[in-house]
Amino acid sequence: MILPPVLQKRTSMFTSEIILQTLISGLLMGCLYALVAVGLCLIWGLMEIVNFAHGQFMMLSMFLAFWMYTLFGLDPLLSLPLGAVLLFLLGIATYFFIIKGILYTTFLAQIFATFGLGIFLHSMAQFLWTANYRSIQNPLLAGRIAAGQIFVGFPQLAAAIMSVIGFVFLYWFINKTEIGLALQAASEDREAASLMGINSNRIFAIGWGIGSACVGVAGVLLANFFYIFPEVGFTFGLIAYVAVALGGFGSIPGSFIAGVVIGLVEAFGGLLIDPAFKYLSVYVLYLAVVFIRPQGLWGRY
Amino acid sequence: MFAATAVFLLLFPAIFTLPFPQHIMIMIFLYATLAQSWNLIGGYAGQVSLGHAVYFGAGAYTSSLLLMKWGLSPWLGMLAGAGLAAGLSLIIGYPCFRLAGHYFAIATIAIGEIAQISMVNWKGGGGAVGLYLPILDESFTNFEFHSTKVPYYYIALGITAIVFLVTYLIEKSWLGFYFRAIKGDLDASRALGINVPKYKSIALAISAFFTAVAGTFYAQYILFIDPESVLPLMLSILICLVAILGGVASVWGPFLGSVVLVSLSEYTRTYLGGGGKAIDLMIYGGLIVLIARFQPEGLMGMLKKFR
Amino acid sequence: MALLQVNDLTKRFGGLVACDRVSVEIQEGEIIGLIGPNGAGKTTLFNCIAGFYPPNAGRVTFAGQDITSLPPDRVCQLGIARTFQVVKIFKDMTVLENLMVGGFVRSLNTRKVHQEAMETLNFTGLTEKRDMLGGSLTIADKKRLEIARSLMTKPRLLMLDEAMAGLTQKETQDALELIHKLHEQKITLFLVEHVMEVIMPISHRVVVLEYGKKIAEDVPEKVSNNEEVIKAYLGDKYHASRRAH
Repeated sequence: MILPPVLQKRTSMFTSEIILQTLISGLLMGCLYALVAVGLCLIWGLMEIVNFAHGQFMMLSMFLAFWMYTLFGLDPLLSLPLGAVLLFLLGIATYFFIIKGILYTTFLAQIFATFGLGIFLHSMAQFLWTANYRSIQNPLLAGRIAAGQIFVGFPQLAAAIMSVIGFVFLYWFINKTEIGLALQAASEDREAASLMGINSNRIFAIGWGIGSACVGVAGVLLANFFYIFPEVGFTFGLIAYVAVALGGFGSIPGSFIAGVVIGLVEAFGGLLIDPAFKYLSVYVLYLAVVFIRPQGLWGRY
Repeated sequence: MFAATAVFLLLFPAIFTLPFPQHIMIMIFLYATLAQSWNLIGGYAGQVSLGHAVYFGAGAYTSSLLLMKWGLSPWLGMLAGAGLAAGLSLIIGYPCFRLAGHYFAIATIAIGEIAQISMVNWKGGGGAVGLYLPILDESFTNFEFHSTKVPYYYIALGITAIVFLVTYLIEKSWLGFYFRAIKGDLDASRALGINVPKYKSIALAISAFFTAVAGTFYAQYILFIDPESVLPLMLSILICLVAILGGVASVWGPFLGSVVLVSLSEYTRTYLGGGGKAIDLMIYGGLIVLIARFQPEGLMGMLKKFR
Repeated sequence: MALLQVNDLTKRFGGLVACDRVSVEIQEGEIIGLIGPNGAGKTTLFNCIAGFYPPNAGRVTFAGQDITSLPPDRVCQLGIARTFQVVKIFKDMTVLENLMVGGFVRSLNTRKVHQEAMETLNFTGLTEKRDMLGGSLTIADKKRLEIARSLMTKPRLLMLDEAMAGLTQKETQDALELIHKLHEQKITLFLVEHVMEVIMPISHRVVVLEYGKKIAEDVPEKVSNNEEVIKAYLGDKYHASRRAH
């Protein structure tokens, strides 16, 4: 196969170590993307509203971890429950103050309600904390594990493991607990669910809470090894929407798998083409998938 | 009411002779044109494009590159850019229109991002550094004026007037009805003989055409373009915001929205200084949420209630 | 030559056979009823004829032309109009505007279509409501609007999907009157209905579907006494009453 010069130069540098390294980095990051995506998907599945401020919620959680560490010396691991709870509350508040009122309005209004919130939070963060990059210098989760030539960052590994745990827990919760089943019922048929005694407002608020808590956890985990700055919300938010759409709106496992796939595509895209193009490959992947299968890979619609 | 506004706009540069207020009006015209163009596909036909900047950039880059590489008149370049944008929209629309609501919106974002990333990395088109348009003698043919903004003002006014007229005519014609029907209910539209993909494409092509025209105007006005200024996601969002703020699917909405937005932007920039950059975005964000939550029909909707 | 001819139409959704080799022939000017229990495939049949679903097998011929794989907009242009089980009006457009949308398939002239819309409003008794928003109408008026709107496409065949569902006695009477007027205008009618008292008296023939198959087709009196049909409805005690057409 004749490759264009750009690719030819690259492939000659590929060793199995590099490929394996990229694979692992992609998988680990992908798990984190997956957790963020799953939170978004939960909210969508419940009331067909995409939280376009999802990325900014995560950004807030990252800053929470940062300030807890900088001001109180609280390690991110300990901030984890704090992030989950506070973001849970933020989700509920968002539902009651904004979302409840737009449930039955136009599609455009729904998109822009959360989009506006996202822009607001992003600029608020910029206003309060400037656009500078911050980082947590010495978290408990630090260092690398080496396996031959392959290096795996410990915080990344921990984040990925916890993301998977988080997803498994969420999946169990949705399918095996009463509240979870109520969530499913409400997303299938609001009216029928209310006839069964399920208070749709409460359920929707809980859905928002849990979805936001997911992102709260993801944010704190990410703060261990990623730069913390206002813009980060946009990037992760965009990746989350692409993941949910790729997996198919409405499918939680689909979103998780899509998140991991995106992590891989991003990693290999950066390797094969150019680091500048790593997000490009994600967007191209999205278009490729939905053009062939308009409802995403596992979508209901 | 309309006549009074028209006269006022025509006489504006004579009343306000300083360049700054004229610049403000030019910006208002620019955003009004962009929002009105978006309105056709997003407001009337209900297809929410969150990547419209790609057409703006297409117009700006096409005419600028044609000017710089082959000395083509910016006016012809404007037509070329608009034509290219319309063609691009057909290519984009064909696969995208099969997608439902959210998938479509995200696809438009993806395409916009791909365009921006591509232009950043295309050295031939200026790359991240951008393009500095050549400073030519001030003349109408060259589409450049240096000593005064007044000709720019009238060109912008002219473009805006044309776009608004086209929108008005479309609204009254079968096209307007078909666009609104498509937004209203797809199945019913098809059952009434409407070839939905065809009309979605028509709406998008016209929209892209005028968005690109605005792009060329911008290039000739500022004389510098780069991916950050003509292709970012934020621009696409602002375009939608102006349309929504003013009131979608109305002829005057985009103008109202533009007046409010540009005035707000200038106010925060002037009076809230350096940190003002973030504050004005905070206000935008809050404004969007408020409009979406309490007044989805925008300012035009509010005005109608007071009639 | 029959106006509409459906031959062995089959439509599958995954493993479910929604329509199983259904054949129907409708002559111009007839009123044909389509009945059957829920899930029998009535709306699926409509959707296949109207071009919303491509059938897996079979043929649909309209006025001598094969329309089997044509999309809905082409089918409408050729002269078949249909309404929907769950009424689909344009909520944010006025009654008049709703009608005008239908008219543009025959003429692009706004003034002409406007005038035709006014006439159709008059014909269907909606003139006073012409400036009301579609979304603010009662269910009966919405259904009437949908019929009026499809009339604007000047159909030769009009397929009504449960036009009487959810209507009161009075509203049903009014709807029946409208259907009579349509018949007088020489429009061929294909009606899906659940309300037996309505469909039996007015239909020339009734087609009965069950589990996707046609189990009976005959004049209403014979159909209502058909054992298969009675079994399918299980407990539906209806006896056809005769009414002059």
